[in-house]
Amino acid sequence: MSTFLEPADPAPTAAERLHIAGLHSPSDAVLSVRDLNVSFNSENGAVHAVRGVNFDLMPGKTLGIVGESGSGKSVTSLAIMGLLPATAEISGSVRLKGRELLGLSDKAMCAYRGNDIAMVFQDPLSSLTPVYTVGTQITEALTIHNPGMSKAAKETRAVELLAMVGIPSPRNRLRAFPHEFSGGMRQRVMIAIAIANNPRVLIADEPTTALDVTIQAQVLEVLHTAQEETGAAVVMITHDLGVVAGIADDIMVMYAGKPVETGSVDDIYYDPRMPYTMGLLGAVPRVDVAEKSSLVPIDGIPPNLLHTPTGCSFAPRCPLVTDACLDGEPALSPVPGTGYHQAACIKSASLGGDVDVHEIFSAPPVPVSRFDLIPRGDRSTVLELKDVRKHFPLTKGALLKRRIGTVKAVDGLSFDIREGECFSIVGESGSGKTTTLLEIMEFHKDQDGEVIIGGISNKQAADAKTKSAMRREMQMVFQDPTGALDPRFTVYEVLAEPLQNAGMDKRAIKKRIMELMNLVGLQPDHVNRFPNQFSGGQRQRVGIARALAVNPKLVVLDEPVSALDVSVQAGVINLLDKLRAELGLSYLMVAHDLSVVRHISNRVAVMYLGKIVEIGEVDRVFDNPRHPYTRALLSAIPVPDPQFERTRERIILQGDLPSPLDAPKGCNFATRCPVFAALPAAKQEHCLTLEPPLEAVQPSAAVEILEAGPVPTPDQQFACFFPDGELDEHMLVVHETAEPHAP
Amino acid sequence: MTNLNAVDPAAVAQDAHLENADVVIAKSTIIFRRFMRNKTAVAGLAVFLGLTIFSFVGGFFSPWDKETIDPFNIGMPPSGDHFLGTSQAGIDLYAMTVEGTRISIMIGLIVGLVSVLVAAVYGCTMAYFGGKVDKVMLFVLEALIMMPALLVVAVATSGGGDGLKKNLPSWLLLIIVLLVFSWMGTARLIRSMSMSLMQRDFVKAAQYMGVPPRRIVWRHLVPNIGSLLVLDITRGVTGAILAEVAFSFIGIGIKVPDVSLGVLIGGATSQVQTFPWMFWVPLTVMFLLTGSLAMMNDGLRDAFDPSSSSVGRAKKNSTEKMSK
Repeated sequence: MSTFLEPADPAPTAAERLHIAGLHSPSDAVLSVRDLNVSFNSENGAVHAVRGVNFDLMPGKTLGIVGESGSGKSVTSLAIMGLLPATAEISGSVRLKGRELLGLSDKAMCAYRGNDIAMVFQDPLSSLTPVYTVGTQITEALTIHNPGMSKAAKETRAVELLAMVGIPSPRNRLRAFPHEFSGGMRQRVMIAIAIANNPRVLIADEPTTALDVTIQAQVLEVLHTAQEETGAAVVMITHDLGVVAGIADDIMVMYAGKPVETGSVDDIYYDPRMPYTMGLLGAVPRVDVAEKSSLVPIDGIPPNLLHTPTGCSFAPRCPLVTDACLDGEPALSPVPGTGYHQAACIKSASLGGDVDVHEIFSAPPVPVSRFDLIPRGDRSTVLELKDVRKHFPLTKGALLKRRIGTVKAVDGLSFDIREGECFSIVGESGSGKTTTLLEIMEFHKDQDGEVIIGGISNKQAADAKTKSAMRREMQMVFQDPTGALDPRFTVYEVLAEPLQNAGMDKRAIKKRIMELMNLVGLQPDHVNRFPNQFSGGQRQRVGIARALAVNPKLVVLDEPVSALDVSVQAGVINLLDKLRAELGLSYLMVAHDLSVVRHISNRVAVMYLGKIVEIGEVDRVFDNPRHPYTRALLSAIPVPDPQFERTRERIILQGDLPSPLDAPKGCNFATRCPVFAALPAAKQEHCLTLEPPLEAVQPSAAVEILEAGPVPTPDQQFACFFPDGELDEHMLVVHETAEPHAP
Repeated sequence: MTNLNAVDPAAVAQDAHLENADVVIAKSTIIFRRFMRNKTAVAGLAVFLGLTIFSFVGGFFSPWDKETIDPFNIGMPPSGDHFLGTSQAGIDLYAMTVEGTRISIMIGLIVGLVSVLVAAVYGCTMAYFGGKVDKVMLFVLEALIMMPALLVVAVATSGGGDGLKKNLPSWLLLIIVLLVFSWMGTARLIRSMSMSLMQRDFVKAAQYMGVPPRRIVWRHLVPNIGSLLVLDITRGVTGAILAEVAFSFIGIGIKVPDVSLGVLIGGATSQVQTFPWMFWVPLTVMFLLTGSLAMMNDGLRDAFDPSSSSVGRAKKNSTEKMSK
C-alpha cells in the first residue's frame, strides 16, 4: 500500500494532532495534504474551488487526480505549488517531507519550487520562453538551486537531461530555440527542466492533453522513465481516465471541489462505489471493444460552487438520488470489506458487485437506422471524392519569391460516403484531415480533383444556385462550440439564420426552430438565451441543431466532442447516433480520438501526410490493422482498464510527423515505420523507392478453396508492402506487469 | 424524417409563448441597464445632454445675439445686462458661447459619427474580401495617413479653398476636411479586429450555410465590433471637438463671423489679464464637453462589452435564472 487517504475528521486522533503540530510524521510520505480548502472571491461571492482535499503521497508512487473541468484538480495543484494569486484564500496544510508549505512567502517557496517539487504544465507551446535557447532554460533551473555548480558541470547535466527525455543529439539541441521543437519535443524539454534537480514530487497537470496520441504515448513513456530515474512521486492530473489507468497507483476522483472517491487504481476501475465514478467510466467509449452499446450520459451540469451544498453535491445529477442524499454532504468513508478504498456516497455499500451502470443511468437503447439493413453497395452515394489534391507552394525570399518546395497537404484522396453511414478520418495533426474537410466545404471549380455532393459535381457547379443547392445537402458542426456561435446572437437568431437564408417565412421558421430544439434535446424556452448562458454540451447541441436546420443529407463533423468533458461528450455522441438513425443522416467525421471514432463510425480512413494509408470497415480496421501506422496509432490509445494497460504491448513511434517538405520519395511512413526498421536492407530499398498503392487484400487461393467459390473482398484497403511485418523491438514497450499491487 | 412535421400541441403553446415575447430581454434594454449602473457615465451623459440643450435653447434667455454690438458696454465684465460680460467689440459673450457650443458640438457629432461609419464599412470590407482589394484599400489608407493634415486644413480654410468658401460656411468646410483625415486609424483597427473575427468559426459557419457576404459583414462582423464602434464614436467626437478648438485657436479653422469655442478661446488668449471672463467661460464649457464625453466613454464600454468585469449584478441575475 502506497497511499492512504483520510476523511476530514472533526476530532483528530492523537497522531493526527501531533502531525498537525509538525512533531510527528505518520509515515514517510513525501507530500501530505490535509484538509486543503481554496476559495476565490468573485463579484458574485466566494467560489469554493477546493473543499477538503486530503492525501499522502509515497516516494516513487503515482497519484492520479481525475475529474471534469471545474472540479478543482488544477487549483489543488497550484495551491500545493503556491502559484495561486494572492487573492485566493487557502487553508489547511501541505507538507513536503514534513515541512509546511502553506503560508510561506513567495520568496521562501522559491527554495522548494523547481527543487524538491516541480511541475509540468499543460500547454508546452507557451511554457517555454521563446527568446532563450532550450539549453539556457535548463541551466537556469540548475543555476537557481545550485549556485556553486560550474558552467561545464551544468552543461553536462543539461545534455544528460535532454538525453534522458529522449531528444536526439542533445548536445547540439541545447542551442536550439523552442520554436525549433515540435509540441511533443517541447513537452519533453519541460519534463527535463522539471526533473533537473531531482525533485521528490513532480506534479503533471494534464501534460498530454494538447498532444497527439502517438506523441502522448511518447511523453507518458518519458514521464515514466523520469520517475524511475529520479524516484520522484508523481501527481498526475487529467480528465482522461485512459491516461491514468496505465500509470497511476492510486486514483482520487474529484467532483465540485471535493474528492468523492479514492482508492487504488484497481478499486476505482473495477469496483467503483460512487455513482459519479461509475458514470464517468461508463461515459468513455472503448477503442478495443467492438460490441456496440450506448454510452452513459450524466445529465445536468456541475453545481455552482458559490453556494455550499447542503446535500450531496452530485445529487442533482445522480439517478439513484433519494431524500437521504439531500440531507448533509456525505464525507469520504471507507467502503466496507476493502482496504483503503473510500467513497463519499451513502449507498457505497450497496453499489458493489455487478451493478450495471447502463441500467442505473438509463442509457438509451442503441438506435438502429433503417439503412443498416440495406447492403452498402445498394445505398446511394451522398459524397464522393475523386483524386482530390491540395498543394501549397512554399516560397522563400522577401522581394523575389522563390519556390523552394511544395507542401502536399492533401495528396490524391478518393473515397465515398453512402446514405446513413458515418465515415471518419483519423490521423495525427498535420496529416491533412482538416484540409480535406475544407476542400469539401470550399467546393469550387478550380479545385484539383472532383468533389461530388448529392450528385452535384464541383466541376459543373459554378453558379450561385447550384452552390446553394449543395449547401442545403451538406452542413457542418464545428469543433469549438463556443467559437462557432456568434456571441451576440440568441439561440433563436442562430437557428433562424440558415432558415432565413433558405427563404422560409417567419411562421415556418418559428415552427422549425421549436422542432429543432426538441430534436437535439434542448428546452424550447431556451431559444431566447445567448450562447454564453449554456454549458459546453448544450452549445454543441445548438451547433448540431443549426446544422440540421435545412434538412441536410450529410453533416460534416469536425472533432465534434473533443472540446467537451467526458460526461457531456457521452450525451452528444448518443445524440449524434440517434439522429443518424432517426433522420437517415450521413456523417463525415474528423477526429483524433479513436475511441469515439470506433464507437460512432461505420467506416474509417487513416491518413498520414496527406494520403490515406488504410481504409475500411471500422471493426475490420481496428481489430485487424494491417498498416504499421494504424497499428501504432491503435496501440497508443490509452484504455480505461488498468490490467489491460499494464500488460499491453505498445508501439512507441520515434520522432514526430516529418515536415511534408522532406517527405520521402517512396512510402511516406518509412522514416518512422517500426516494420521498416526491422527489415533487411534490400527490402528497405523497396520501401524507399516505390510508393505503395492503396489496395485491398485479395483472399488467398487457399481460402477460396476452403469456402468453395469466390469470397467477396473484405472492405479494407491499405498501402503497405509488408503488412503484418515483424516490428522493430526498440520501438516496442511492455510495462512488465510485476504484481498488481496488493492492498 | 420522423415526427418533425406533426403538429404538436406543446409546440403550439411554445409558439404562443414566444409570440408574447415576455422572456426576451431586448439587447438594447440590457445595454441601457448596464450603462445606467455606472454613475459616472450617467453624470457625463447628463452634462453632455444639458450642454446640447443649452446650445439650442440658450439663445432665448438673452435679448442679445452674436452679431449685435452693444456700444455702451464694450469689454465689460459680467453684469445684469450681459450675464457673462461682453467682448472688446461689445458683443454679448453669453450669446457667443451658446452659438460656439452649438457649432462645436455639431462638428464633433458629425465628424465622430460619420468618420466611424466610414471606418467601419471600409475596415470590414478590407477584412472580408482580403487579397487584392485589401492591398489597394490599404494603400489608399496609408497614403491618407501620410498626408499632412494640418497643411491641408490651412490651405482649404484660407487661401486655396476660395472657390469652396463662397458656397460653404467655414464650419462645414472644416467638417469635411476633418472627416477626410480622421477615419484612417479607426479603419485600420477595425480591419485587424475583423480579420481575427473572420477566423472565428461562426463566420465560417455562416459562409458554409451560404449566407451572402454583405449579410455576413452586416450581421456578424459589425455587431461584434459594436462596442469598439461606440467607443470610437465618443472618442471621435472628443477628438473632433479638440481638433476644431486647436485649428481655430491657431487661426486656420473656423473664421469670424462664424463662432466656435476654439475661436472664442483663441481670440481671448492675448487678453487673459485684462478680460479674464473672455477666456475662462469658453474654456470651462470646452472642459465640460470633453470631460462629460470621457465619462460616458467608460460607461459605454462596460455596457457593450459582454465580458466586462462590471457586470456583477447582471451576471448574478442570469445565473440565478439558469439554475431555475
